[in-house]
Parts: sequence; structure tokens; C-alpha cells
Amino acid sequence: MANAVMGYKQSSFPTKLAAISGIALLIFIILPFVFGDFQLSLMSKLLLFGSLGISLDLVWGFTGILSFAHGVFFTLGGYASAYYLKLNLSADSNTYGGELPDFMVWNGLETLPWFIAPLKYFPVALVATVAVPALFAYILGYFIFRSKVSGVYITIITLAISSALTTFFVSQQAYTGGTNGITDVSKLSFLGSPIPPIGLYFIILAFTVFVLALSWWLTQSNLGLILRSINENEKRIAFLGYDVAQFKIFIWTLSAALAGMAGGLFVPLNQFISPVYLAVAFGTQVVIWVAIGGRGTLVGPLLAAILLGQVQNYAEKVTQDWQLVIGILLLVVVLFIPNGLMSLLPKQLSLANLSKPKVLQTSDAVKN
Amino acid sequence: MLAFDPSSVFLSTYLLAQEEAEAVAEGGFDIVTLLNQALNGVGIVGILLLTGLGLAITFGVMRIINLAHGEFIMLGAYVTFVFQDAFGMDLLMTIPFAFLVTAIIGAVVELTIIRRLYGNPLETLLATWGLSIVLQGVVKLIFTAQLKYVKAPPYLSGNLPLLSDDAGGALISISYYRMFIIAVALALLGLTMYLFYKTSWGRQIRAVTQNRDMAKCLGVNTKLVDMGTFAYGCGLAGVAGAVISALKTVAPPMGQDYLVDAWMVVVTGGVDKLIGVLAGSLLIGEANAVIAFILNDPTARVIVLAAVIVLIRYRPEGLFTIQKRS
Repeated sequence: MANAVMGYKQSSFPTKLAAISGIALLIFIILPFVFGDFQLSLMSKLLLFGSLGISLDLVWGFTGILSFAHGVFFTLGGYASAYYLKLNLSADSNTYGGELPDFMVWNGLETLPWFIAPLKYFPVALVATVAVPALFAYILGYFIFRSKVSGVYITIITLAISSALTTFFVSQQAYTGGTNGITDVSKLSFLGSPIPPIGLYFIILAFTVFVLALSWWLTQSNLGLILRSINENEKRIAFLGYDVAQFKIFIWTLSAALAGMAGGLFVPLNQFISPVYLAVAFGTQVVIWVAIGGRGTLVGPLLAAILLGQVQNYAEKVTQDWQLVIGILLLVVVLFIPNGLMSLLPKQLSLANLSKPKVLQTSDAVKN
Repeated sequence: MLAFDPSSVFLSTYLLAQEEAEAVAEGGFDIVTLLNQALNGVGIVGILLLTGLGLAITFGVMRIINLAHGEFIMLGAYVTFVFQDAFGMDLLMTIPFAFLVTAIIGAVVELTIIRRLYGNPLETLLATWGLSIVLQGVVKLIFTAQLKYVKAPPYLSGNLPLLSDDAGGALISISYYRMFIIAVALALLGLTMYLFYKTSWGRQIRAVTQNRDMAKCLGVNTKLVDMGTFAYGCGLAGVAGAVISALKTVAPPMGQDYLVDAWMVVVTGGVDKLIGVLAGSLLIGEANAVIAFILNDPTARVIVLAAVIVLIRYRPEGLFTIQKRS
């Protein structure tokens, strides 16, 4: 997963970073063979949450848009994938034997709604997991960013969206399964045979590496430079002739697409999706991973999601008050370690260097 | 469904209203139901006003993004519960204590957290969110997650019949408690406006928000003003919690229900003038009531939230703010 990092760093610290990223990837490849079933599915889940964190880092850490709606994008992708899996249940494992999912029967639907029916086919579902959240984000982004709305108000809008969609999904029981969401879905299968948990783990690992590599490449490109500049001084970038809104909409949509993909992979793993993941609480969770891991570090949110998830797993056996620990951790990070836990790492190992614009280096050169 | 919905304040009050409406007027779609629904909307307006007022101080006046606002409401409710449980106090008597305790906690929070983050709205937002998790956690640690119940005073129970049918049964009525909520909300709004526009403390607050450095030069103790104002805003949230505690069960996550709504009210009303809170809650509460009457509750909530989003998009300074040149 850290391979991508290596590429850039090769010029300055080739051996050290090659070793670290190689070892990191190796650990993640060996891991499933060492751990039991429970750890396997937990790690798969945490990798997905980490990817979700990375997608938020793109808009928050790099572009300065704090969003509580990334859980929403994640869940939209999740629902698309859940409909696919639900509609592909074999007839005998479906409670009512028919084609119609159980929750639709309970709520008195007679036929499959036209907007859900196409999701029975894999290519359609695959496109939908990406396209639905991306399209929603695009419309939203177009609406928000082409206006004078800024900073905190955008965050409040994302809060409202999360709250409104939760209410909407809960109320549309016949179509969404209400509070319970979509449960008892079939397993993801490949050429007719179900994919084993370890296969799913490797798919998810590959996805995480893809998200990390893509994000890293983006942030190192000229586009990334512009995004960071927008974060630093939006007005100046606008005066330089860049269409700030366009860049924001682009990264916002891309980030939502990545979040949606993560959600799409989450359902085969988790075997259900519900409005819990739409709610503000889950959106906050994503924000917390990024804040604690370190904004603008990409690897930080991933590590934070894995670390917190693992600690939570053990802590919850001892105490019921895990959330309190998270709250205190968040407060401490905001007050005393504003750049997140990644900034505590020694400079050579830290990805935070990478997020510093290259411009800084040239201006240093000029000074010298 | 209710337990899950993060902002079920509309829903819960509505379900109540629907029961009332069904019991009272079996005719369904008629003028009586509509009037009852409108009156019910007034009840929601009271709650919105009460919960939004504290936020209008902390966000509207001080520009602090306070996501722990709901938790201060929750703390107020718990103060009422404790005093009622331990000393058998009347709910009305606990209100000053609810104000004091939450104001003191607010002052401590300002001193230890908010003060470090002035001029940094996004960091404040994160920190107050952390604070809200911590407050919920601590309350859960002390009182456990069990639901607590607060009794409304007996003289505030029952309904005031406004219109009776031939048999003497009430057709249109409003509950005394709902009237009480509105009275408290309006009284607090009046008191706050008096404090802000007619006293020297209010003048100092306005001076500090307009020009902090100049106020400092003129001898205003800005740090004390900041602390006092934030504590006052939190105290108002505490009062809201105390009053609401009898309507709903008291539990650690209860504050979350009010957070989004309080924000919508403040954002809609605009932060320029305190009276905006009243306008915001009237608009949201009644719009919600009317749409819920025509369609249904969740749809009403979604439409109102969507409308607020559109409003923020076109007028982030709120509906009732005079446009200024910047």
C-alpha cells in the first residue's frame, strides 16, 4: 500500500522508504494467513474505513472543505451494492421465494420499482456504486461551490444533508428497508461461486492501495498543488485566473466516488447496510479518523482507522465507554497536536513532508 | 424509528399531535384538524426557540461553532432530574439550578478549550464535537445509559380547550405545558434582548464582537466578556433542557436530537439580530407543521431541511439580516 509513496521518495531516501513500504505491504499480505476469521473481516472493514478516510482527506486535508457527508456517499454506494446482492439471492434463500426482496413484500409492494430493478445486473450495479454517489456529490457540489457559501456553512450544509437523508431513508420503508436497512443479502460471487473472506480481503486491500496511490498521485500533480493553494489562499488562486469552484467540484465528486466504491465493497463484507451509516454519527467518525491521523497526510487517516478500530475491538471487551476515549482523544489532538498523530513521526518517515507544496521549496531556494 | 432518528423533535411532537387530532376530530381533513396542527406547530416553535436561543448567543454573537450545544441541553435536563430525584423539587424550581450548573460548565469549557481556538472556526467545530462526545460519555458514566423520567408539575398538565363541540368535548385545545414552553421561550428571548441592548454588559459584548481590539483599548475586559457570554449561552441551553426534560425521556444522547434543528433555526433567522431566532423558529416550526399536515412528517422534515440548505446557498447570512456591504 505504501508503494506509491516510494515512487516519489525514491530520489531522496530510496532504501529506507522502499524498505518501509515494502514491509508494510508484506505485512498486509501475510496478515490474513496469520489471523483468524474474525480479524480477517475486521481488518477488511478497517481498510475500507481507512479508504473512506483517505477520500475525505482529499477534500478536507488538501482542499479545506470539512464534510460530514462522506458517510452519506459511502452509504449510497453501499445501498447500490446491497440491492444487487439482495436481488441476486437464490429463490430458495429468499424468505418469500419470489423475486421481490422480503422488506418490499412486508411493505406491500407488488412489483420491483423501476429504479431498483436494473441493479440486478452486475455491470449496472458496479457503475451505480460509483455513479450514484458521484452524481449526487456533483449536483451538490455544483450547487454549493458556485456560490459565496464558505467554510463553516458548507460543513453545516453537509450536516443537514446527512440528517435529511437519514430521515428520508428511514421513512421510505418499502424501498429502503427503513431503519433495518437491507439485510440478509447474498454473498458476492465470481463466475457462480461465492468469493471466500480471504478473497474479499485481497480485493479490499487492492482497492485501498488503489485509493492511496491515486490520491497520492493526484496530490503530487499540478492539480494537487492548486488544491492546496485553494486551501491556503482561495482569493489569490481566483485572481490568478483559476476557476476555484471547478477544482472544488472535481475533487469533491472524485472523493464521493471513492467513498461510494468503499461503501459498495463494504456490503458484501458486512452483509447489511442501514441508515446508521447515513447518520451524522458515522460521518463524524470519518472526520475523527482524518483529524486524529493527520489532515493532508493520506496515510494518516488509514492508519488512524486501523489503529482506532483495533483498539476499540479490544477496549470494548473491557469498557463500555469507548466513545468517551475517542472524544478525549479528539479533544487532545485538536488542542495539542493539530496536525494529527502523523506529525509525531520523525520527519523522514512522515508523509506530511509530501503535503508541503513544492512552491515552498523553490521559494527557499530563492532565499538562499 | 423514533429512537433512531437523530432529530426526532418534530416527529415525536407530531405523533402526539396526531393522536390528539385523531381523538378529537374523527372527520380527518377539516378545519379543526388544520387548526390543531397549526397550534401544534406553535408548540414546536416554542421548543425550537428555546433550543435555538442559546446557540444564537454562542454562534450568532460570538461566532463560536458550538456542536456541543445539544449536550448543554442534555446537561440541563439531567440537573432537573437530579434535583427532582434527590429533593423532590418542582420542575419550575430547578430551572435556576439548571441555568447555573450549565453556565458554570460552559465557563470552564470556554476557559480550557474555546479560548485557545478563537479565529479558527473549523478547529472549534472539531473541538466542540469532541467535547460533545466527552460530555455524553461522562454523563453516561455517572448516570448510566438508562432512560430517566422527569415529572411535569401537576398544575401544568392537561389541555386548555379553545373550542368545544356540542357534547362538551374539546375540539381544539392546546396543552398547558406547550403554552408554558412558549412562555418561557419568549420570556428568555425578552430577557436576553434586554441584557444585550439595554445594559452595560450587553454594550460590552456588542463592542467586543464589533471591534475586539478597540474594545480592549477602551478598557473592556474582553476575556471576561467572552467567558461570560459563552457561559450565558450555555446556561440558556441548560434552561431549554430543564423545560424539555418533562416532554421527553432524559438520556445521554438526547442533545443530538436538538443540535441540527437549533442550527437550522439560527441559520435561517440570521445572526445579525437576536429577534432572528424568533423568526427562524416561527418559519421552520410552522412550515414543518403545514407540510406535515398536507403530506407526512418525515417528508416535511426532509423538505424543510432541503429548503434551509437552499437558503444557506443563497443567503448564508440568514433571511432576516440586513444586507451589508463588506
